Amino acid sequence: MTAESAGKGNVELFELPAELAIDTSVAQRVIEGFIRGQLRQAGFERAVLALSGGIDSALVAYLVASAIGPERLLCVLMPYRTSSPDSRTDAETVVEALGCASEVIDITPMVDGYFGPDSDASALRRGNFAARMRMSVIYDRSVTWGGLVVGTGNKTEGLIGYTTIFGDNASAFNPIGDLYKSQVRQMAVAMGVPISIIRKAPSADLWPGQTDEREGGFSYPMLDRLLFWRIDKRRSIEEMEALGFDRATVERVDRMVATSEFKRQVPPIAKLGPRTSGIDYLYPRRRPGSARG
Amino acid sequence: MERVRIALAQLAPALGALEDNLERHRVALGEARDGGANLIVFPELGLTGYLLQDLAAEVAMRLDDPRLGALVAETRGVSAVISFVEESADHRLFIAAALVEDGSIRHVHRKLFLPTYGLFDERRFFAAGDLLRAVPSDLGAGIGLGICEDFWHMAVPQLLALDGAQILINVSSSPGRDLASTNEVGLGTATSWRTMMRTYAQLTTSFVVFCNRVGLDESITFWGGSEVIGPSGEALFSAPLYDEGVFMVDVSLGDVRRERIALPLLRDERPELHVRELQRIIDERAGLSMRDTTAEEGAEPGLDVMPLATPIER
Repeated sequence: MTAESAGKGNVELFELPAELAIDTSVAQRVIEGFIRGQLRQAGFERAVLALSGGIDSALVAYLVASAIGPERLLCVLMPYRTSSPDSRTDAETVVEALGCASEVIDITPMVDGYFGPDSDASALRRGNFAARMRMSVIYDRSVTWGGLVVGTGNKTEGLIGYTTIFGDNASAFNPIGDLYKSQVRQMAVAMGVPISIIRKAPSADLWPGQTDEREGGFSYPMLDRLLFWRIDKRRSIEEMEALGFDRATVERVDRMVATSEFKRQVPPIAKLGPRTSGIDYLYPRRRPGSARG
Repeated sequence: MERVRIALAQLAPALGALEDNLERHRVALGEARDGGANLIVFPELGLTGYLLQDLAAEVAMRLDDPRLGALVAETRGVSAVISFVEESADHRLFIAAALVEDGSIRHVHRKLFLPTYGLFDERRFFAAGDLLRAVPSDLGAGIGLGICEDFWHMAVPQLLALDGAQILINVSSSPGRDLASTNEVGLGTATSWRTMMRTYAQLTTSFVVFCNRVGLDESITFWGGSEVIGPSGEALFSAPLYDEGVFMVDVSLGDVRRERIALPLLRDERPELHVRELQRIIDERAGLSMRDTTAEEGAEPGLDVMPLATPIER
């Protein structure tokens, strides 16, 4: 299946594996109710998110704007000196289309101020540090704007651990964390996210010309299908091979999922007392009395 | 009563907010009564919300709780099904649904099957009920109550029908999931429930009333889609997915008689066959019978596979 049957127009925007096709109107209904519910239960009316110019944060911006109105959304653009100018342009297109508030905060002085001018720090360290500077800024803007931080990570990157812990994976709630990249694309088409954003190759934009698929050595449709059958549908390695997946690729993805388990969970607490958070003190996050003011 | 007007109170309870939910029930009850309803059905844990965890003990009520009593008192002249956390005299917590009529509690059903798998963790926080009974009602028809997962076990609707129920009522807090476009209404959960409800109505030749909540607890969105199915398996009413509301449906109790005369499945049931064969299966599983009819040759009593006689060579 291609996006032709799922989206608008006759342009083949991306490859959509048939088993990953969702009813976007149901998904939109659930997600927008989720966004309103999370804010209401926490005592907030506004939201803030980091808008990169990529499809994930663009889709979340569209969903939040549709759920609570664009006037309650602040998008923060946080470029670094090596960030692609196209990312900035695409983010500005989203802000303009939605009519929401926006701010641009250059994180270059923060990142370069820490590493110094002649640092030989690896791209990984720089990338993680930049992600955590963006997290610091967005949480500060959460206070000045009076809104909750909305997460923008998708299910695919969450499962393989292609995220920075306490960086881009930090949020008050995440509306698209259970959508694979292919499903994010399907939703983006349905929500009217600009075609240029849907078409371009996904990138963490940590250095010029970087793309997720080149760096990881996979294509998103293949990876999404692999994760769907392996995790959602509980297929064994042998069954994956029968479905046509390459055994070595399945094993490699299995390792990525296992080694990133820690990024998806709250850090463990050494059990000592009678009742311990997350172990035998188990309350809903939102309960009577938990909302702000 | 030949014509019964059923009100489906497809509400979105606030998690842990007992007083708020009691008030919402009072308002919905008033609205349904004003609309001429004879039977008002509220969803599973409508008075407390679903994902309670340790809050369960804090919102639990004994059947003599005055807060519950005040709501019950408002059912003068009508029948209602309300659901809450019930604390027994020996301090077990149950997910309960009560049939309340004309200002008094007529019957309490304690959820029998507590899902503790996937996204569910009910057995950790609740005790399972032990009784299943159909009960007479002011509506002039026997009522059989079940709570959500109870109806994922085939024996429950069948036992209720054999016990005299003509209206099977399931109250639910069913979380929506499996969002595939290949499903009837875009939601796998809804497709499963719709299939089951129609099947139960047809096989028990009874009305099936399904009241499922809407709204959000934490990560989970409840999908609504409450329904009334006639004794022929035909959907008489389907409430919208996700929308909160009180929906009215008129049914004719004469449909039960017509269907049961035309299709006498209940007349032809063989409960003594069930008992005999179930007793055999229970005995075989427990290793109490001489021989397990489906076990491998040589397996010990209570085991269905013979253990390896010799260790595997390494």
